Amino acid sequence: MEATLPNLLLGFSTVFTATNLFYALIGCLIGTMVGVLPGVGPLAGISMLLPTTFGLNPASAIILLAGIYYGAMYGGSTTSILMKIPGEAASVMTCIDGYAMAQKGRAGPALAIAAIGSYAAGTLSVVGLMFLAPPLARFALGFGPPEYFSLLLCGLVVLGYMTGGSVAKNLSMIVLGLLFGMIGIDQMTGYFRFSYGLVALGDGIGIVPVAVGLFGISEILTTAGQTKRPEVIKPRFRDLFPSREELRDSVGPIGRGTILGFLIGIIPGSAHIISTFVAYAVERRISKHPERFGKGAIEGVAGPESANNAASEGALVPLLALGVPTGPIPAVLLAALMVHGINPGPLFIKEQPVIFWGLIASMYVGNLVLLLLNLPLVSIFVNFLRVPYKVLYPTILMFCVVGVYAVNSSLVDVGIMSVMGLLGYVLRKMEFETAPMVLGVVLAPIIEVSFRQSLAMSNGEYSIFVQRPISAVFLAGGLAMILLALKPLLMKKKDWRERLTEAEKSK
Amino acid sequence: MTIDRASGTFFILLGLFVIWERRVLPLGTPGNPGPGYFPLLLAILLILLGGILLVRGGQAVTLRSVQWPEARTAMAILACCAFATLGMETIGYRVTMVLILGFLFGFLERLKIWQVCALTVSLAFGSFWLFDTFLKVPLPRGGFGF
Repeated sequence: MEATLPNLLLGFSTVFTATNLFYALIGCLIGTMVGVLPGVGPLAGISMLLPTTFGLNPASAIILLAGIYYGAMYGGSTTSILMKIPGEAASVMTCIDGYAMAQKGRAGPALAIAAIGSYAAGTLSVVGLMFLAPPLARFALGFGPPEYFSLLLCGLVVLGYMTGGSVAKNLSMIVLGLLFGMIGIDQMTGYFRFSYGLVALGDGIGIVPVAVGLFGISEILTTAGQTKRPEVIKPRFRDLFPSREELRDSVGPIGRGTILGFLIGIIPGSAHIISTFVAYAVERRISKHPERFGKGAIEGVAGPESANNAASEGALVPLLALGVPTGPIPAVLLAALMVHGINPGPLFIKEQPVIFWGLIASMYVGNLVLLLLNLPLVSIFVNFLRVPYKVLYPTILMFCVVGVYAVNSSLVDVGIMSVMGLLGYVLRKMEFETAPMVLGVVLAPIIEVSFRQSLAMSNGEYSIFVQRPISAVFLAGGLAMILLALKPLLMKKKDWRERLTEAEKSK
Repeated sequence: MTIDRASGTFFILLGLFVIWERRVLPLGTPGNPGPGYFPLLLAILLILLGGILLVRGGQAVTLRSVQWPEARTAMAILACCAFATLGMETIGYRVTMVLILGFLFGFLERLKIWQVCALTVSLAFGSFWLFDTFLKVPLPRGGFGF
């Protein structure tokens, strides 16, 4: 704890170079553009833009990618408020009161409160990340293969439960993802598995083609042919300032949204989406005037927007401290870190303090950049929304192809992206969530190796997973989630997951 | 047939396919699991989950009610992806992108000819300059060096 301040100073000394500040700025701007454009979520955005970081040193690359990440989380609110179209899934709840405010001529204050809430939540969450990740990493140094296997198994079960929709369908997606992750050379024996003579599949299926295919290409395929041009409300700079009353009403929701978002962000699943749902429900529940919600209540914007930014940074705690991504976006960030030779995990903070603390410091800077630049530039970002979709989607398709190709200079990856795009398109029609599949692909090698190593350690005794206390706790957590998933079979009342799914579908 | 039952059937068949394909991979022993051990467990799990979907999927929407209004456009876009996969290293990035973007803007979206030309050339050559020349990420040049 006492080393935090010197470490943070080390981080700021890394960030406060002209080059890194420039990359933080560019990352935030690109991220906001990615978030603003409907259909290009943070996941596809980071995946497509990953090759642009190849020529950079690791610290600059991570600063740029982190900027894109939280810029995209912020940018989604703009389309929600001005068009009632969530720029990304976490902005669904912002649509309700944000758009209602815009219709009443209060788009500016809604955008301003979203930006202020995102800034406050982002900054406070970095404080949480800064104090929580190092001790968690030290704790995880004691983990052996059984603990890792149980942790990952528990994480995947929690993901299946928390993602929304049918748990059986989510678990099927995880297993399908794990099976895709089996393709390629077996790490322990060198056997080629399910690669059908294709040498290029030896390294397995990469996370980038899978993520771009399932999220980028399938989105293009699903929305192809749409000609409707949605109306965009364009706010003026002088209309952006919220009234004193609006500011006062937003303080509580921002604080509560931050705490809820950060805590939910650490849990596997669609944390950034769930956190907005929970924050909105909490604000409505404790409000003295719940009837204002849905008709332009500022609390309905402040709470969810703070929560989604806090959740996106909370998700970095397990990623950086344990090397375990809790959702598809952290999974792509993990892949991006690994491309630059950085392996997040218990030893990451100790062995690469410059990168870790540089990332932390860049988040403080990035959040400030987002606040200072994005509000004045909102009318410029709005212009991106005026680009007709028939011009936009071929451009996105081109960036998908070049982004995926550039990672390994492999056309097989472009082929995998196309297949995943088709699969994602069909899965969406069949009402499957594709995020669990991405995580399955990423975690497959780690979970398999830790499983086989555990069995080798115990000479084939499965009881090793329950004999070790930490492992047993993780397994009990996973079992509890399965029991919770079975609850709707016994009770007729809709649980929160079904209500969340309905809320998302109704937008 | 509902979408859940169709998906369940697919997962069961896929699980059986994985078990069949896995037969060439050694299973090993519980104390020393081989490369086929974990895929076999996953395939069994997939079959079980497929079974759950098959049994409990009666209430889901029917397969027939799923709408595919954008399917033709989607297939054309997928054909473009396939063309990029097969052609990019043979004819080069720029030519491939000119053909793909020209097809999408001109044939599929029916933009005006000058718009098609301007967008196609600027995007294909602009992205090549950005990635290959400026960011030093090598993109394929094809047989003609272009």
